[in-house]
Amino acid sequence: MRQIPAYCQQMPVIDLSDGGPTGRGGATDTIGAPTSASLLVAPAASLEQRIIAATLRCVSRWGVAKSTLDDIAREAGCSRATVYRVFPGGKDVVLLATARHEVEALLSDVAAAADGATTLAGTVTASLATAVRWLHDHPALQYLAEHEPEVILPWIAFDGLDPILALVTTYFAPRLGRYLPEREAAELAEALCRVVVSHAFESADDAAIDLTSEQEAGRFADTFLLPGYRSTTVHHRS
Amino acid sequence: MTGSDTRSRVLVACLACVERWGLAKTSLEAVAQEAGVSRATLYRWFPGGREQVISETVTWEVARFFTRVEAVVATAPDLTAKLVEGIVFGHRAIVEHRLLQRILSTEREALLAELSESSLLVLGVIRAYVQELLRGEELRAGIDPEEAADHIARLFLSYLGSGGRWDLTDRDEVTRLVRTQFVAGVLDDGRS
Repeated sequence: MRQIPAYCQQMPVIDLSDGGPTGRGGATDTIGAPTSASLLVAPAASLEQRIIAATLRCVSRWGVAKSTLDDIAREAGCSRATVYRVFPGGKDVVLLATARHEVEALLSDVAAAADGATTLAGTVTASLATAVRWLHDHPALQYLAEHEPEVILPWIAFDGLDPILALVTTYFAPRLGRYLPEREAAELAEALCRVVVSHAFESADDAAIDLTSEQEAGRFADTFLLPGYRSTTVHHRS
Repeated sequence: MTGSDTRSRVLVACLACVERWGLAKTSLEAVAQEAGVSRATLYRWFPGGREQVISETVTWEVARFFTRVEAVVATAPDLTAKLVEGIVFGHRAIVEHRLLQRILSTEREALLAELSESSLLVLGVIRAYVQELLRGEELRAGIDPEEAADHIARLFLSYLGSGGRWDLTDRDEVTRLVRTQFVAGVLDDGRS
């Protein structure tokens, strides 16, 4: 892995201790149950979650640049001072916490879908369809993709994508490792991430295959992604 | 002087300005001076002003980049070899593109926003190029060339930008990458 570029160092450090086994071989018991859901849909339990949910609603309405801390506080039904107390540092800290929360929610939701499958093809299909659908249906992300691409692009363009590739690989390689040798599992996990990013953000409407459909995602995986890895498939280690 | 001559003179001038001062500080006046034309003339050629000049310059430079990639892959014998050469050369050319790397470190957001305008175009061009190449290959039964080209073009662009866990300077490794992820499901002689 290359060094993470300097501008990425402000990126959220996502604690994967719940769901991200660091090595292979730990098999299923190291893969924790998903714990979070996007605060767009989940009931906000804590003040912190209420502020994050409010931030998401503001961003999906006005974008990042035009959302003020006052907007967020009003939307959350608390005072500006409270937002500062919960997120010392203000708007940037709130935005980063929101991004971190949503990335965790995405990984958890995709992991839950993947863990419901019992074959390599099923795991890949469920992961693809769930991830692409999740990103498509995320109002804040889609607002940014359309109106403020410069907010998202540093995370997905050029070597800015590397930290996300590494994160997703850490998280999903062990899941694919139930069916594939270690190296192939990591490669396929990374490839899945590339496909999802491309279909979710780049000319998504222009894609030849609609990966939001489970059936089409399955056909895509069978046709294009799995043939190169099928020969290395190992017996399901339970 | 023909229309395309004057146009490319302005784009060359704009590139020189960006090289010297960066994106944000490149003004229409500076481009006009560099190109040796008046501001009024520049407006006549580029009614959208500074924004249009910058955007056309970025698109032009992107096109030049892919023209270089195309020239390199032209001599490779088949789709697999062309993809390998394209990834090895293209990735290195991006890493070694001094102006690109400099602006990426100083004005990353502004540059990425500019580049995103041409990304749809780039995907379309590569997709069409790959689809044309697929005509000369033995495809597996049931493969839709349009879908295959879309998949290959998207992966190709993804790897050009970021190598991830792959060492894209190692031709053998890139060959294995192309065989497993790009063409295994598409080509009849692909490893499966």
